[in-house]
Amino acid sequence: MVDHCKLDQRRFSRQLATALVLSLVCTSSAELAGAAEENDYYRLISIATPRAQTDSRSKTWKPAPEGLALEVSGMTVLDDKRVAVAIRKGEVWILDGVYDDPPKNVRYKRFASALHEPLGLLKHDDSLYTAQRTELTQLKDTDGDEVADEYLTVAKGWGVTGHYHEYAYGPKLDGDGNMWLTLNIGLGLKGNQLTRTVREPILGYRQGCWRGWGLKITPNGTMIPVCAGMRSPCGIGANAGGDMFYTDQQGNWVATNSLHHMRKGAFFHHAEALASMSQPGSTIQGVTSVPNGAPLPQALEQFPQLKPPAVWFPYKKMGQSATDIMLDASGGRFGPFAGQLFVGEFTQASMSRVFLEQVDGEYQGACFPFRSSFASAVLRMAQGADGSVFVGLTNRGWSSLGTSSYGLQRLVWTGKTPFEIKEMRARPHGFELVFTKPVDAQTAQDLQSYAMNSYTYLYHSTYGSDEIQKQNLAIKRSVVSDDGYRVQLQIDGLRELFVHELVAAGIRSRNGEPLLHPHGYYTLNRIP
Amino acid sequence: MPHERPQELLPRSVKEEFKLNTRFFVAMVTCLILPTNRTSADSPFVAAFDRFARHADIGGAVGGRLLLSELSCTGCHSTNVQELQPKGGPNLDDVGNRVQSEWVKSLLHSPQKVKPGTTMPDVLASLPLGQKKHAVNALATFLESLRQPYPELKANGATPVPLEFWKHGHAEHGRTLYHQIGCVACHEPDNDYEVVKIKPSPIDELLEQLDPDEIAEMGLTSAARRVNSVPHGELPTKYTKKSLTFFLLAPEKVRPSGRMPNFQLSAVDAADIAAYLLRGAKIDVATDSRKPSHSGNTAINNSSLVEQGRKLFVNLQCANCHVVTGLKPTGPAKPLTNLQTETDTTCLDGPLRNQPHFELDDFARNSVVAALTTMQAQTDVNTAESLNFRMLQLNCYACHERNKQGGVGRFRKPYFETIGHVDIGDEGRLPPPLTGVGQKLKEPWMRNIFNGKAAVRPHMHFRMPKFPESATRDLPSQFLRTDGGTQQPSEQSVFSAARRPELVEAGRQLMDVGCVQCHSFKGHALPGTVGVDLDGIANRVNPKWFHGFLLNPPELKARTRMPTFFPNGTSQNKELLGGDTDKQIAAMWAYLRDLNKQPLPEKIIHARNQNYELTPTDRPIVLRTFMQSAGTHAIAVGFPQNVHFAFDAEQVSLAQAWRGRFLDAEGTWFVRSAPPADPIGNARARLPGGVPFAAIDSPLQPWPTNAETAGYRFGGYRLNKDGVPTFLYRIHEIDVEDRIQPTDDGGLVRQIVLRKREGARHVADQLYFRPHLGKTLTLRQAGAYSNDDGVTVAVSLRSDPAGELRNSDAGTEWLMPLEVNSDLQIEVQYSW
Repeated sequence: MVDHCKLDQRRFSRQLATALVLSLVCTSSAELAGAAEENDYYRLISIATPRAQTDSRSKTWKPAPEGLALEVSGMTVLDDKRVAVAIRKGEVWILDGVYDDPPKNVRYKRFASALHEPLGLLKHDDSLYTAQRTELTQLKDTDGDEVADEYLTVAKGWGVTGHYHEYAYGPKLDGDGNMWLTLNIGLGLKGNQLTRTVREPILGYRQGCWRGWGLKITPNGTMIPVCAGMRSPCGIGANAGGDMFYTDQQGNWVATNSLHHMRKGAFFHHAEALASMSQPGSTIQGVTSVPNGAPLPQALEQFPQLKPPAVWFPYKKMGQSATDIMLDASGGRFGPFAGQLFVGEFTQASMSRVFLEQVDGEYQGACFPFRSSFASAVLRMAQGADGSVFVGLTNRGWSSLGTSSYGLQRLVWTGKTPFEIKEMRARPHGFELVFTKPVDAQTAQDLQSYAMNSYTYLYHSTYGSDEIQKQNLAIKRSVVSDDGYRVQLQIDGLRELFVHELVAAGIRSRNGEPLLHPHGYYTLNRIP
Repeated sequence: MPHERPQELLPRSVKEEFKLNTRFFVAMVTCLILPTNRTSADSPFVAAFDRFARHADIGGAVGGRLLLSELSCTGCHSTNVQELQPKGGPNLDDVGNRVQSEWVKSLLHSPQKVKPGTTMPDVLASLPLGQKKHAVNALATFLESLRQPYPELKANGATPVPLEFWKHGHAEHGRTLYHQIGCVACHEPDNDYEVVKIKPSPIDELLEQLDPDEIAEMGLTSAARRVNSVPHGELPTKYTKKSLTFFLLAPEKVRPSGRMPNFQLSAVDAADIAAYLLRGAKIDVATDSRKPSHSGNTAINNSSLVEQGRKLFVNLQCANCHVVTGLKPTGPAKPLTNLQTETDTTCLDGPLRNQPHFELDDFARNSVVAALTTMQAQTDVNTAESLNFRMLQLNCYACHERNKQGGVGRFRKPYFETIGHVDIGDEGRLPPPLTGVGQKLKEPWMRNIFNGKAAVRPHMHFRMPKFPESATRDLPSQFLRTDGGTQQPSEQSVFSAARRPELVEAGRQLMDVGCVQCHSFKGHALPGTVGVDLDGIANRVNPKWFHGFLLNPPELKARTRMPTFFPNGTSQNKELLGGDTDKQIAAMWAYLRDLNKQPLPEKIIHARNQNYELTPTDRPIVLRTFMQSAGTHAIAVGFPQNVHFAFDAEQVSLAQAWRGRFLDAEGTWFVRSAPPADPIGNARARLPGGVPFAAIDSPLQPWPTNAETAGYRFGGYRLNKDGVPTFLYRIHEIDVEDRIQPTDDGGLVRQIVLRKREGARHVADQLYFRPHLGKTLTLRQAGAYSNDDGVTVAVSLRSDPAGELRNSDAGTEWLMPLEVNSDLQIEVQYSW
């Protein structure tokens, strides 16, 4: 048994005797410097955040000694009392009482087991669906005992060479009722793994079939490859219009984390996904060479199938490993960002926010920091019936900030509106900022309140890219709307296909508050 | 090094003063040194001097020598003696963005007041107020102009570096780190910090019970004494969050002397500690991104003031201690050996014009005098003294005890905790004692330790920090020479039999006698056990020490918790290796030396299996995984009857069966590299592979080798109420249900139902069943064949066609034509 005491150096032994009396003075009255402000607006409730026994990267990683290893890899909300979660060891659990605050009496019931590293979970009609390493599986309880007795294969047939990195993610539903999956690329395949690959005859790439592709499965069970070039597409999600997006993670060919619109024939980054180009059903044709080492704008010219991401997440600044995508479909019960996308972040145990708009029919937009200080890597997010967001955590195999190796938390809007840049819209000569609260005209008109620079990335097979061709941009003019919600920034030197990084540190709301997050990063693929 | 003459750089009025002063100097030269009335409280603080010299634990001259280096006397009074080289002050190349300008001004104005205990002398002590103000202003302006961009921190999947992490430190977590990782070995703990109640150190327990006389009699006076803290002054007025965070991340960049070592903090942890240390700071000027301080400050745009400051900096000999790129130290000052303390007017006293003022109390002053007096007498310093001196300089004694000197100070031990508060005594929480360490550790390993690459005590919150190579270069060899560890007997001569392979297994068995109770092996340990991992021990410790320690632990390590397994040199285990003590110790060495290639000790394997071995008891257990035998789409099913099988869902093939223990799931459940799972049990049989059914148009057509092209579509499985899976698949227009279960006699029985799909068109080709194949097939009885792997397959079919054998590239195949009109049921028995 561990008990706490105050240590007074002079009277150490005597103080030990009074330990129990003082044990109520515990350290939880934390001075939470950084997160305190975020916490004023979005409060974190821990449903389960146990401490693991070992470092998340340890080869001999062990879960916490007690309880379930709740390494949440998939999550779906069942109703206003329960969520279902998939966990990495291959089980699905139904958790009841998760909306309680505090969640003192959560009941756990195992719904399914023997799944091979499931990385998604979706409730659809009366079943749960999950992508295992090798197949999309429908889990059905046919006898009403709340335990699955049918594990039905909905779709399979993609290559599984046995390499650990070949994760399969999903499913998520699009606006037409199709289920979407994304498939990781394999890394450095060798030996027996190569016997399970396909080879592109011209380019010579070898990968398991459809590795690095996004697939959709129609309601009648047909699997359709849609788009390619993914490295580690850990997050899938639909926007309010039902269009599908995925997130990718920095690595070879991928300059930094990114958000992409999945659509037919689009190619995103990772060249080895072209291994499946000549397979029946491929939507990518005619790539005969891949530029390696060109700045993105030039690479796009040389490689017409290559499409820029809708949003880049500049490395470190906007996280280090993007994960799940969640639409705020709460109609305002999760705060002022209804209709926007939220993106999970693994390494930094945080969540980002994305504003998207369409310019010439293509999505592009901006990302903003949103909430930090989760207990572990944020892998999955699902919006509850009350608009709050369940956040599934697991960091095994890599590292993350936070106190736990896995767990489940819930993020609740406190009802207070944070002062944030809600939208950042591209304009022909600058950007329009839309705020969550009216701005103070004086600081908003002061050009010193803003700083902007822009940069792009190299498209290359190397791991990640520095920000290149960086330039500071001059803000020429700032015009505040009458209602104070909008600011038009006139900026010289906008460059297409560059990330435009804004820091609006000087701006204040009418109440004198600084922005909770003064940074915004707009991926300006096209100037409207 | 040639000393430059100070140039005439001061403003005129100051210059006049200096002239006057020079005359005054001359007059003073022959005067006796005046004693001061300072006390230790407002004197420069040198940790080891304060702890040991002031209490006569070390000689006065040694204490004085310590001050010569730690006060950087030798920065001006040069010496060839290596160990007396000046500690030096902080590198000031980035001081303009590291330290707040107002603080610099206050420090220059009165160093000991602003940073009590600072080893920086007052270089302006004797100036009249007006001139002093001007000098302070010029110096501070110059220093503020010294700026360098902060380094970019590398980030990757293992190292989070969040946006502006220095702004978002969690003070509460920083407070915990500050008290746990070792900062409080030297610095002051927070009186309100709560530690977990643990059993006090035996030595502290003893001290509690003794009165001062008894303590003195037992020679514990030093251990009983409170150890003063290295003061760090009013940090919130000195640093910004950003500058302190970056300082903590790489203190050696600012303080290359290594007196403040590097705790190898993560970006976020450094920010947390900085947030804690700067708690209560009102405004964080330099991190207010609205007003970057360099553009907002007009003073440093005053280039003439900067220039005046630069000149003063050199003239006041600041550059003799502080590195500023482009500035050189100035002299002259008498070399150390020429100083005549009886006759010279020295900077020990004062304040005197044109001299730094050290504000020493009498004791410190007299110690320096004693050191200088004995300087000439001193011939060569022996290694032990030299080593001890280095340890005093680096304050190794703040953490480590060596030869009854030092160790974590009184009242500080409670902050040193074992992770998880497992009680493994002082060894599990305090930094290890260094008595005899030169006999114990190998030199390369010692270097790893100083380089911060030797974290072998993951059970401690305390971290051994990293020291600059320049500060620790000589330490390993000094330890070796002092402790007589240079001539280590070879492994061969210590363990004459260590290379004999049969010893390895005996060594492994001996681990289970006791070692596994406290140590981990390659990261594996018994539940709840924390301790030094024995993996790599042969690279760390010398064979002779290993032998001696196992033979009689307390002889090499006082108060160790390591039990004596060989009381009076005799083994308690008479079975292994004939109970021969030397052979048993050699066997343990032999096993541990090759641990990375050896299986874990049996008890650890057993404990591991409790967690990860799947043992069906009342229901079958299913595991989808990778398997050598059943491929990447394997579905393994284990039964309480201890008969198990693996089904390949890609090739829709029953691949393997075995009896006994089922599977270990750790790799599938928890290992990133996703290793294949393999049967643990025995009697493994490769079952006739390939798809079971095929639509071929003639018995001559080869059996298909790919399920997908053969028209298969795997459909998953359904569990019955007993948890037995029935596999579901389709071959063209035929639905198949396939259930496999143990028989009473250790085999498997497979019940297959084929059903033509409703509305299906006719099946074009003849459907065949291939129950068995092998190099050869031998008829056992009607409807039963064995192959050369010893697998016997028996088929019973409602309409019982015996089928036929054919020879093909696949060997001998047993084919059976099927008519699937309504439900067709087949039962197949496998035995091996």
